[in-house]
Amino acid sequence: MNEEDDPTLVRRCQEGDRHAFDQLVLRYQKPVFNVALRMLRDRQGALDVAQSTFLKVFEHLADYDPAFRFYSWMYRIAINESLNALGARKPLEGIGGDEADDGPSPERQAEDEQTRRAIEDALMHIKPELRTVIILRHFMHLSYEDMAGVLQLPEKTVKSRLYSARQLLREHLLRRGVDLT
Amino acid sequence: MTEEELALIHAEIDGELDGRQRGELARQLLADPGTRAVRDQLHRLCERLDTLEQAEPPSDLPTRILAALPPATATPKRYRKALPRWRYAALFAGLLGAGALVFETVRGPGPATSEMTGTMAAGAPVTLDTVSLGDGPIAGRVSLYRDGAALAVALEVTADSPVDVLVATGGHTSRINGLTNESGAAARIIALPGTGLKGQAVELTFLMSGRRVGSARLTVP
Repeated sequence: MNEEDDPTLVRRCQEGDRHAFDQLVLRYQKPVFNVALRMLRDRQGALDVAQSTFLKVFEHLADYDPAFRFYSWMYRIAINESLNALGARKPLEGIGGDEADDGPSPERQAEDEQTRRAIEDALMHIKPELRTVIILRHFMHLSYEDMAGVLQLPEKTVKSRLYSARQLLREHLLRRGVDLT
Repeated sequence: MTEEELALIHAEIDGELDGRQRGELARQLLADPGTRAVRDQLHRLCERLDTLEQAEPPSDLPTRILAALPPATATPKRYRKALPRWRYAALFAGLLGAGALVFETVRGPGPATSEMTGTMAAGAPVTLDTVSLGDGPIAGRVSLYRDGAALAVALEVTADSPVDVLVATGGHTSRINGLTNESGAAARIIALPGTGLKGQAVELTFLMSGRRVGSARLTVP
């Protein structure tokens, strides 16, 4: 199987080749879905965001500047779509269902599962702009440079947000009694 | 703990410390158990964050995404040049009663185009499954064929409006735009990736103006 790189596929898309777009969808549907899922913690919402993200990518491909990495541009759209979805929610809706504090006792769960849930809870308790940097750094494993490109912020600001986000997560987890030693 | 000390810890986590900063952090860690505890907690937190597994999206997400795209006005000419259509025409002309044939391939892992051409050319094709599309906005039939080790779908359809079709099989989805011509009729062969394992399904979703107007499921017996 020959894997065409992003710039080639994007150029083919811009020339009207829909099959090139199919390949971009197949390549990036999972990371885009996961960005949205981590931002929203809502599977249906993440599906909607993934769909709207690719629709916007498709509609605005002519505006895409190849000087930037394609996935940076696409992740930016995914994050903006996620933030829009969060903004449309009612207060507290972001922390719902089994994520609430009165869930099953942590002692009855395996430690890894308990910590995973606690981390996901904690993520929903920090501001979306801080959650965004955690997602880009630790889930999408982007460099500071790429994160700055996605967020259109100076690297210094990205680092500052990332440090703050980690601190808040740590404090939240310790308050919840999660063992981080 | 100062902001500078915290910044050193975060920079250490991200592998951004130079030699001098590493020495500075090491001195602080030795001098202050509190700093050491915070550093260990942040390291542990970041290890956990780094190893959280990605969720699997539903298998039909690509289909949903592609179905939501606006319809194309025409199939790009460059794509139609991808296959040596005369080989397929020679093979399938006897199977389809009428209409001009246009050949496409669903891209994905599987034999290379050259391999498919070679296998498709050998022996007579066998019909594996056929589905009638009924009397809705799109009518006609679709059939699944095997020829040698290769699979293909034949579409013979009529519709009042331009039709696109999504073809999903073996974890791969592709979109064929402008399936029907201006007269509303189409006869088209789509070569599929893979060799067609028993029970493999080929899902076809027909779209008009981006809206789903019909579907068909073909199965390898």
